[in-house]
Amino acid sequence: MRAHLFIPCLVEDCQPEAAEAVAEVLERLDVEVRHPAGQTCCGQLAYKTGDIKNARRLAARYLDVFAEPGPVVCPSGSCVKMVHTYPELFAPGEPEHARAVDLAARTFEFCAFVVGLPGWADIGARLDIRVCYHGSCQLQGLPGVDAPRELLRGVRGLTLLEAERPDRCCGFGGVFSLQFSAVSEALAEDKCREILALDPDVLVSAEPSCLMNISGRLARLGRPLPALHVAQVLAAGMRKETPSWK
Amino acid sequence: MEVNTKNFRGLSESACADVKLRAVLDHATRHFQHNRQASMDALPHREEHFARARAARFSALAHLPDLLEELERNATAAGTTVHWAADAEQARSIVVDIAKAANAKVIVKGKSMITEEIGLNPALEAMGAEVWETDLGEFIVQLAGEPPSHIIAPALHKSREDVVKLFAEKLGLHGEAIPELTMLARRALREKFLSADMGITGVNMAVAKTGSVVLVENEGNIRMSTTCPPVHVAVMSIEKVVADFDAVADVLRVLPRSTTGQRMSSYVSVLTGPRLEGETDGARETHLVILDNGRSRVLADPELRETLACVRCGACLNVCPVYQTIGGHAYGWIYPGPIGALLSTLLLPAGQTRDLPYGCTLCGACHRTCPLSINHPKALLALRARAAGGRGTLAGRTHSLLARHPLAYRLAVGAARAVDPQLEKLPRLISLAGGSGVAQFVASRRPPELKKSFSARRRAAQANKERS
Repeated sequence: MRAHLFIPCLVEDCQPEAAEAVAEVLERLDVEVRHPAGQTCCGQLAYKTGDIKNARRLAARYLDVFAEPGPVVCPSGSCVKMVHTYPELFAPGEPEHARAVDLAARTFEFCAFVVGLPGWADIGARLDIRVCYHGSCQLQGLPGVDAPRELLRGVRGLTLLEAERPDRCCGFGGVFSLQFSAVSEALAEDKCREILALDPDVLVSAEPSCLMNISGRLARLGRPLPALHVAQVLAAGMRKETPSWK
Repeated sequence: MEVNTKNFRGLSESACADVKLRAVLDHATRHFQHNRQASMDALPHREEHFARARAARFSALAHLPDLLEELERNATAAGTTVHWAADAEQARSIVVDIAKAANAKVIVKGKSMITEEIGLNPALEAMGAEVWETDLGEFIVQLAGEPPSHIIAPALHKSREDVVKLFAEKLGLHGEAIPELTMLARRALREKFLSADMGITGVNMAVAKTGSVVLVENEGNIRMSTTCPPVHVAVMSIEKVVADFDAVADVLRVLPRSTTGQRMSSYVSVLTGPRLEGETDGARETHLVILDNGRSRVLADPELRETLACVRCGACLNVCPVYQTIGGHAYGWIYPGPIGALLSTLLLPAGQTRDLPYGCTLCGACHRTCPLSINHPKALLALRARAAGGRGTLAGRTHSLLARHPLAYRLAVGAARAVDPQLEKLPRLISLAGGSGVAQFVASRRPPELKKSFSARRRAAQANKERS
């Protein structure tokens, strides 16, 4: 099988290790990985700030970037949700509409895609580590919302810890964190407190922006934790080498 | 009340800093969530019940004009006087005129968001009437001179200690434990019920087929307000009408469960016209005020119409991380939380509500909790798009422009990486240039580091592979 990587802007430049791990896990599961050129932003920022004109332009760009058939795999629930919204940005009569419907139907969140692959249950990953998993509100409502947990449970030696309110928003919310910074900080603070209470080795999520927000707050609190995408844990477990962050 | 939605951002910031308020909110919203969850877990075929409630509400919205006319016909036939009010001012003057005609000196009220919306109490007090809120929570906020902070639990923001102090100050009554405080309020209000000239309530549902008004409550104060005084005025907004009692049953199967976690509320009153000859209780004169106040505009708007399906269970407030953190007053008007941000934006003048659709992380907890599956985040996004006129901020548009040109985008990221890979300085510069909030963000979070990009690493790895 061949899959196209859809790497969110935040991951491309700030969490490239997560993208490498996504590619590695897929390749180990016999998926041929392509990384189409020209990826920048899927239009989520424009869409969520009411800039429909630019959201449409950027969506139209991504229809071209991912024009080639085949599944598109992305390590971010919120970016996948954005692509799932593309069909609403174009009226049924517009030429982009049908292509948007097609792209939405074949765009998958990484974990949900992996649990659909033959042989995923037997990836032979092993890692002795205490993981605090942050569920992320952005994965809620997507197909395979529990896929990250399933994948983590499949790693031998891994202790999966769930914070008190694992799916509660960490307070990021994109532009919300800038306009309502005090509220955003208070929510990040709640999240950090609930995570630290578990005393984990690492923080793991399937949502890069949550990882950025929570780990950034933990660092400012003087209690930094390695913040990893689920793919990074899987890749390290499959490699059976002690990762640098452990 | 004074509309203060313009200060939403500032009010949310001060609410955040109020440690005591945060603790009270945390306790109360967890309590609500726990009870709701337990009751939903015990409800077999819950999705089916949600679907039926949703069907009852949406079918009512689809036939609203016809149902309202049917309601008017049947309520009139039952002996109720029906009044139509286009806006808050008309509704106020209708109720004030009824009170004048009844020579009402003492008025008792059941908790009602709609009378808060039209600012009814000050108008009645201005004509010299004594107005008593009889719901315990609403009574507490009335004594405190505050608006409600939750659509179901008006005094949710008050601790027991606050109430002890308030009762001592305002009523000269001294109590400590909650049952004791409740008994004090009950005694104080009992006299008012018995001496009241008029009772005013809202409406949970109005039944088109019979002209009845359905009221849902736990304290019995609404039963008293509608049966003790000789005159009862019910105020409803247009979307409260449903077709028949089958629809009422479909909504009631989920409403108390979603609100307080009860299988059914302690009281459900069905009122159809005034007391008839030979009956022993009930008002001798009944009025139904049907208010639009901007709702027919919302009804005509396919993108936002579903907001009107809301049955005011308040569950979306309890699960909203923003509401849990700032409470209701910060929203600046009577409707807080996800549904409040929507309603206020739809019902108030546009210039006053700019920030409301943005005070949301779009986490979707409200949508997932709503028994009617109202998609609050999606509606808020639609409001953002309208407020922005389809165009974003300067910073947002610049980002989009770069994102449309990958080469320029890569150059911009590369330049940022070269001068400030830790992103500790650039965000502050952006803030100086007017990008407010960025500086606060990096003050409270260490920004992400700009690393060698995934694309560059992948190219390098592939080149390596080819060489070896």
